[in-house]
Amino acid sequence: MENEFYTDEFEQFLKEKSDQFSMYPSRRVWYSIYNNLHPSRRWPSVVISLFFISSLILIGYLNAGENSITRQINTEGTFINAPDEQITVSQSMSGINKGGTSSKPKKQQGQQIYSNVFSDVITNETDFYDYTIVKSNRPVHLFNNVTSPDVKSIAETAETNNNNENVIQDVDAYIKSNQIFADVAILNKKNKVLSSKMDNHVGNSTSITDNPDELNVSSINNSKNIVSSQTANNNKAQEFTLQESKAVINANPDQENNTAKNEEKAWIENYAFENKSPAKKWKGRLSYQVYVTPAVNYRKLSTKVKGSATPFANGDINHSISQKPGFGFEAGLGLNYAAARRLHVKAGVQFNYTNYNISAGQANQPVATTILLNDPSTGFSYSAARTSTTSNTFNGTASRPVTLHNRTYQISLPIGFGYKLSSENNVEWFAGATVQPTYYFGGKAHLISSDLKSYVSEPSSINSFNLNLGFETYMNFKLGTYNLQVGPQVRYQLNSTYKKNLALIEKPYAIGLKFGLTKGF
Amino acid sequence: MTEELMLSGCLKNNATAQEALYNRFSPRMLGVCYRFAKNREDAEDMLQEGFIKVFSQMHQYRNEGALEGWIRRIIVHTCINILKKNKKFSDSIDITNAHSIHIREEMIPSIMQAKQVVECIRSLPLGYKTVLNLYAIEGYSHKEIAFMLDIEESTSRSQYTRAKSMLEEVLVRKKIIQKTKKKTNFFGAV
Repeated sequence: MENEFYTDEFEQFLKEKSDQFSMYPSRRVWYSIYNNLHPSRRWPSVVISLFFISSLILIGYLNAGENSITRQINTEGTFINAPDEQITVSQSMSGINKGGTSSKPKKQQGQQIYSNVFSDVITNETDFYDYTIVKSNRPVHLFNNVTSPDVKSIAETAETNNNNENVIQDVDAYIKSNQIFADVAILNKKNKVLSSKMDNHVGNSTSITDNPDELNVSSINNSKNIVSSQTANNNKAQEFTLQESKAVINANPDQENNTAKNEEKAWIENYAFENKSPAKKWKGRLSYQVYVTPAVNYRKLSTKVKGSATPFANGDINHSISQKPGFGFEAGLGLNYAAARRLHVKAGVQFNYTNYNISAGQANQPVATTILLNDPSTGFSYSAARTSTTSNTFNGTASRPVTLHNRTYQISLPIGFGYKLSSENNVEWFAGATVQPTYYFGGKAHLISSDLKSYVSEPSSINSFNLNLGFETYMNFKLGTYNLQVGPQVRYQLNSTYKKNLALIEKPYAIGLKFGLTKGF
Repeated sequence: MTEELMLSGCLKNNATAQEALYNRFSPRMLGVCYRFAKNREDAEDMLQEGFIKVFSQMHQYRNEGALEGWIRRIIVHTCINILKKNKKFSDSIDITNAHSIHIREEMIPSIMQAKQVVECIRSLPLGYKTVLNLYAIEGYSHKEIAFMLDIEESTSRSQYTRAKSMLEEVLVRKKIIQKTKKKTNFFGAV
């Protein structure tokens, strides 16, 4: 190649440095490749995601009000495949202390070096501080000046004294006296005191930032880089670790001027944005959506009658009344989270208006009639007296025709997922489903009487709570920073609109065209 | 798993062999993609598409050169194809006035030199960094680059010259390299 003639030191330098550079991809890349290569053995991402979400909810529920560790930790033992946004720690890192308590880490003999980087993790939360301390098992000679008390003993002392404030002070003093950051990660969301102390302490090293999240990520990533290097080459890793640690220890804030600090800080901010930390990665995956769905509402009526010989009990009630679909709509706000490359999880709040039309006749005067109810204790049906001013055009006599509207006003919390079926350039095709716990806060209900001759207005018969299912498929068009979603949707109500004691069962469903506008955060 | 085992396994569409091959080469290949991509996520997309091609074209590998080199070529071509789909890229590749280009130098870290250099390259305008990546690092000739990017060979040369001087300037400013006298090659070209 002609390049050979042109290669000078500069190009060689670039090539060398670029070849030294490698990054560990996230596991999702492999899963996507696997799915593509083995379509018949697709990773059950839906099931896994649902399991994952359930687990998160369960963990969140169980830990509500307690202190929690802020990093994802699994005990399977390898570090190698962890992407930037995921820290997996070896089994030896079992000393996870909550609320300032301490437990001794399990040591396993014969473990590889990289599986034993962290020996102890201590998390705590007070009224003023959240912090996580990760103590390293890196060779002691790298930190010659690190002597006791170590973080663990600080935590143990704290446990004895039950004094969190002292822990903070002690940890701060420990960091200060030992000039470490790579081994100690602090989350300090509620107060900046500790961060600023560290600022003064280790100058402009990469972990220094006003943003504690970045601090934490930077610290953890340093450790992870070491692990990765060790995986590739233990000797090189040791050298690298030594160099890096020395660089950190030798950092002298007095040697750097303010301009350099500002530049560094500016870069850190940009770098953190480009390589989003776990805490911020969600921003890239999260989007919000506004949508509206004009829909046509249908319904299917049935009866649940026992021991009654009324006309209501005989035959298909749908054939005994004159009814036609009505127009309704839904509008909502939602959050979409890209849980996987193809899978989006979503949740939101939604308003629904449903409407169904019944052809009836206006009676000249109120007439006495009955509706059929079921006795909850015996299950037998009985007639309850009501009055009516509208008649069934099929059976009744009326002075003038009138249209009755069975309407409901609903608020629901749809939770579901969208699965990307295919994509081409700026167009994606999704299929999705939602479960919608729904509260009915108003509406009108016109019930057919037992003799099928009249309609009785009975708004109180509407169930306050119900469950709806939504099924949709839509095309997602990328329009700059916005995504436009268009596609058909079917919404089906699982339980009857009416309360259980009514012999009439109504199962409405709506078919609509959903228009949504999505934008990322 | 040895390279031979991986290769034979991949030819049989064996998932374990494929994963082993992926695990062995993906970190370095992601580094390659990252130099071409806008961000990490784009780089991962390139890597994914590239490895799918690698596995689906495995039967074309003749065992004549290093496997890594073969994979790397596929990955680079994938990166270029993805970039070419982007309108910004075609706009960027035609830029001829280097003086009007602003480098986002604040993006360049100072943690480690390799990372620093890569970030410096990435800070260059899209067209520049693509040509520089292909020529200086991947070793393609200007003729090959011109063919790959659908541009004139002279455009590739001028893009590279500008990219190189711009990068040198940044590296010197960042104190990664020292300013040296410009060398000329045997033909008197840069």
